[in-house]
Amino acid sequence: METAQPHAGVYIEDVSKSFGPEGARTLVLNHVSLSIKMGEFVSVIGPSGCGKSTLLKTVAGLIEADSGTVKVDGMTVKAATKNKMIGLVPQSPALLPWRTVLDNVRLPMTVNPKANANRNLRDPREILESFGLGAALDKYPGQLSGGMQQRVAIARAFVFDPSVLLMDEPFSALDEMNRDAQRLGLLDFWQSNRKAVMFVTHSVPEAIMLSDRIVVMGAHPGHIAEIIDVPLPRPRTIDVYATDEFRDLEGRVRETLREVMGQKSA
Amino acid sequence: MSTTETSALAVQAATSATGRRFSPLASAKLKQNLRWTSWAPAVITFVIAAALWQITAIANPYVIPTIDQVWMSLIKDADTYWANMLVTSLEVVVGASSGILAGFILAIIMAEFQIMERAIMPLVVVVMVTPIVAIAPALVVAFGFGMTPKFIVTALVVFFPMLVNSLAGLRDVDDRALDVMKTLHASRWEIFRDLRFTGSMPYVFAGLRIALPLAIVGAAVAEFVAAGQQAGLGSLVTIAAAQANLPVTWASIALLCLMGVILISLLALVRERVLWWSDGAAVGR
Repeated sequence: METAQPHAGVYIEDVSKSFGPEGARTLVLNHVSLSIKMGEFVSVIGPSGCGKSTLLKTVAGLIEADSGTVKVDGMTVKAATKNKMIGLVPQSPALLPWRTVLDNVRLPMTVNPKANANRNLRDPREILESFGLGAALDKYPGQLSGGMQQRVAIARAFVFDPSVLLMDEPFSALDEMNRDAQRLGLLDFWQSNRKAVMFVTHSVPEAIMLSDRIVVMGAHPGHIAEIIDVPLPRPRTIDVYATDEFRDLEGRVRETLREVMGQKSA
Repeated sequence: MSTTETSALAVQAATSATGRRFSPLASAKLKQNLRWTSWAPAVITFVIAAALWQITAIANPYVIPTIDQVWMSLIKDADTYWANMLVTSLEVVVGASSGILAGFILAIIMAEFQIMERAIMPLVVVVMVTPIVAIAPALVVAFGFGMTPKFIVTALVVFFPMLVNSLAGLRDVDDRALDVMKTLHASRWEIFRDLRFTGSMPYVFAGLRIALPLAIVGAAVAEFVAAGQQAGLGSLVTIAAAQANLPVTWASIALLCLMGVILISLLALVRERVLWWSDGAAVGR
């Protein structure tokens, strides 16, 4: 854990959460602690039901934890959302089909405008251009491919300069070829806009490719099984896939996942 | 930054942009509509129906009039029909627009404040299961033979489908878009303005599609039971039927039908303008 600036980025301590009616509650998160430094890219991976999405939603302020502490840049989640410090990229692009690409990306600026003061708002055009969407500014989401829509959703999360980015399996609906291009695009952009990123995924290569650390979660109840460092140098390119280090890491993550899954069936 | 990757993204962006066409191009759609396979089946059905009608009418002169008798009546008394149609149209326009507005506004209130739904919905249901034909005479007693009871009956008939559909539409928001709004700490008003209002439109239009033909039913029924003013196509139907004047009865019915067709066509036109972004899969056209 950090010592100098204990609460910069995301700070999760001893968070538990259960769902369901009284008497038949299922524990979804069991004493989970995790912190993500400013400018650090952390992936959360695990079998379904391990609570990785619940954890993300807890940080996003969409779900309230039963116990424990969640802080974003030293503030409570509530204060952080009030100050628009959290950028969310949901599983589906969730763009408004009646708004142009540009107006979709402008949305976070027009919502809760009080929080716009004293921040480095990005030019939506510029950000879309750097995402390779310069020709699509005045198009509507229905005119775009799935990959392009997801990039618009990412641009929408970056545009208001939040300190933390939360991504919930943003590329899971794309085909593998497209996914690779999107990962590299995201990495490219993040390289020059370092935010604390929490990236939920169920793809091992994706987690390795993108992250500084990989959090492997286990299910029943959801807990953190292991945190694996990814010491691959940045900036990373597709060549990373072919390196021995990558393959070693992949083996390690898969091994941990297997152990986690094994516990489940036992 | 690696330039090869960004250019690859740009190329991909360019190709996928041209790969898919958006919002059915008007000319292509028109062309499709002009192809005989799209209009001929309906025309043939109408021709057969008209022929059957005509044969039946000639064989049973005291049951239904022939088409030419109806047509002659329409020509001969065009002024009368026109005047009555205006009366009914006024009832439909005033009644329907107030019913639509009331239904939509109440839906907004119910969608935003659940307690209001719990408070008001049971009453609304009670009113709506009461047969409108039974309410109409009572309204005449209360409001006299003027236009007021007709407006009210028409509005009542329109109100329920509008309320129910709008409410469903306002509730059926993209959960993930809602999540994005919530992490931005969007106010209720902002969520309504940016998400719910436009998002509800496919349902609102589905509601209109049901409500507008009902508005004509409402106006006609109100005229049946409150024929005191003796104006409107509905009144014309009752009076002519009582006198066994078949051409006038059926000419009035035909005009009511024409009004319905006009309303539905107008609605389709507006829908095309407003809902171009919706694929219509969720609630149908």
